Amino acid sequence: MRISESLRTGTLEIFNNKLRSFLSFLSISVGVISILYSITLIYSIRTRTAKALEVAGPGRIVVKMKDRWNSNSDMEKKQAREALTLEDALAMETRYPELFMVSPVLRKWIEFRAGSFSEWQGVLGVNTQWKKRGWVYSLKGRFINQHDIDTRARVCVIIIEGGWLKKPKWIKFYDWKDRFQEFVKHDDMLGKTIMMGGSLYTVVGVLNEPPMEKNPRAFMEVESWSPKILVPITTAQRFLSGYGESEGIDQINLDTGKEVTINAYKARVEKFLAARHGGRLNFLEIKDYRDIIKDKLADKQRDMYTVLIIGAIAILAGGIGIMNVTLATIYSRIREIGIRRAIGATRGDIMAQFVIEAMLLGFFGGIAGIMVGMGGVQYLASKGNEDMIMFQWWMPFISVIAAVLTGFLASLYPAYQASKLDPVESLRYE
Amino acid sequence: MIKCEDLHKTYPLGKGAGYPAVRGVSFQVRAGEFTAITGPSGCGKSTLLNILGFLDNPSSGTYLFDGKNVGAFDDGRRSGLRLTDIGFVFQSFNLLPRFSALDNVCLPMLYAGVEKEAAAARAEELLARVGLAGKEANSPIKLSGGERQRVGLARALANRPRLLLADEPTGNLDSKSGAEIMQLLLELHKGGLTVIMVTHDQSLAKLASRIVRMKDGVVEP
Repeated sequence: MRISESLRTGTLEIFNNKLRSFLSFLSISVGVISILYSITLIYSIRTRTAKALEVAGPGRIVVKMKDRWNSNSDMEKKQAREALTLEDALAMETRYPELFMVSPVLRKWIEFRAGSFSEWQGVLGVNTQWKKRGWVYSLKGRFINQHDIDTRARVCVIIIEGGWLKKPKWIKFYDWKDRFQEFVKHDDMLGKTIMMGGSLYTVVGVLNEPPMEKNPRAFMEVESWSPKILVPITTAQRFLSGYGESEGIDQINLDTGKEVTINAYKARVEKFLAARHGGRLNFLEIKDYRDIIKDKLADKQRDMYTVLIIGAIAILAGGIGIMNVTLATIYSRIREIGIRRAIGATRGDIMAQFVIEAMLLGFFGGIAGIMVGMGGVQYLASKGNEDMIMFQWWMPFISVIAAVLTGFLASLYPAYQASKLDPVESLRYE
Repeated sequence: MIKCEDLHKTYPLGKGAGYPAVRGVSFQVRAGEFTAITGPSGCGKSTLLNILGFLDNPSSGTYLFDGKNVGAFDDGRRSGLRLTDIGFVFQSFNLLPRFSALDNVCLPMLYAGVEKEAAAARAEELLARVGLAGKEANSPIKLSGGERQRVGLARALANRPRLLLADEPTGNLDSKSGAEIMQLLLELHKGGLTVIMVTHDQSLAKLASRIVRMKDGVVEP
């Protein structure tokens, strides 16, 4: 028996039992909607993780200050300030020259002034190693060099955001505009003198980010805020107001160069820093960057599992619905089974007939689910859901395949039962 | 073509009891014969026909088809023989109501792997042969009893069987329609087809080239 004939019979059967078929479609559709949403979320999480790692480097370890602002006593405050220093970074570089990157950073929050324009901005103190990873920019002028660091030069590099090639609808919902970005974008800053924290700085470089669509960093930021002004780390320590005079820095980003060496270096660095700080590491956390990403995405992952479980339940209900419909179909067509057997249909033919019909039910239910689901995804994307933007053209296919597979699996048992019916008994059935 | 030796068929009634529908039937059918099996209701005629058509298995005894012991055949092989070598005509027509007359006739050919267009062409030819030209698209519900049986006959002939099994083919028809169907069966027999017909109508049985009489599950001498 040709599949086309089974499909034809199956379609006839679906249209002849509209209500029964509709109820099956409904449950399968709900399952497909959940699957579509889950796949989009899974894809988004995976892509973000991969992109974040791609930008950060394969062997990234982050040595980070914690609880700096929660210290109670003066003693604790002093210890906290000095728990991680620039000297630690330099010593680490000397001790482990094989490390691909040792990039200390210090964040500050300062008032930026240029002529009559003023705005509070985040500033990042960096050294020359900063550009070793995550460099997605095109540079105008120059980057911070070792001389700037050694001389605590009052120079800065400004990052200009890439903007959108084609602005998504959801962006238009937000009125907020980044005044700083608007200012630097429309003013050629290179070579200009600006004021930060009461001192004058020369803009020696401008970093242009690629457009958002082409920027691997877009939506992938793991840091809570990313400063758009870079200064030599030594300058940030000395001249920019912050939490007092100290050698303290916020973070050291390390890259071992390889994923496999992360754990070994994590242990080494911990030992090394403990030795330098008299065993006190209570203000520090040494983390595998992959763990940081995982923590950041943990909420989304929980969402994903919830939706996936709901989807699984819905599709299971759909499967049970299909099984029920197939059983009902078989009981109402016992005589037909007898006739088909009498004219030469094999058990396999009968089984295939009902399995194909159930797969058709799954397919139509899947298509209905996809139509509703894609509408939902589009709506969420238009409202600024960053995960739903990740929707890919192949996702509906996967969802429909899941629905068809559900139909297939759910119908196996009833179809097997149908194939085992005795032809003579079936022919006598009224 | 067919040789049965001591065929028995007992239907289980539970608790070890059983109803013996066929009790030790032995007979032969040669190729090209028109055999009528007659007897009163419940004598085991239809059960025997079902066994001969591979729809049912005997409880014991030997059934040789073309010299081969059918008892050793698996379901696939039995289905294959039903598909290509045997045509069934039923008392209650057993057409698929949602299919057109043409589709009903096409069905066995589609199971046999015939191309859809070729199957449709042959189905049209067969329907014309049984006098139903122009009624191909009609659903069985819109056909009279005699017409339905003609569709049934056309369907039985679809895969050019060597053996036609007819179970009370005129049982649900008025005398005129019955006579027409009988005429068609006789024509087919004249064309060389082996026919085995179950009937309790003696006047029809007399038209066959040979009569096998059954009573209480056994063939009368």
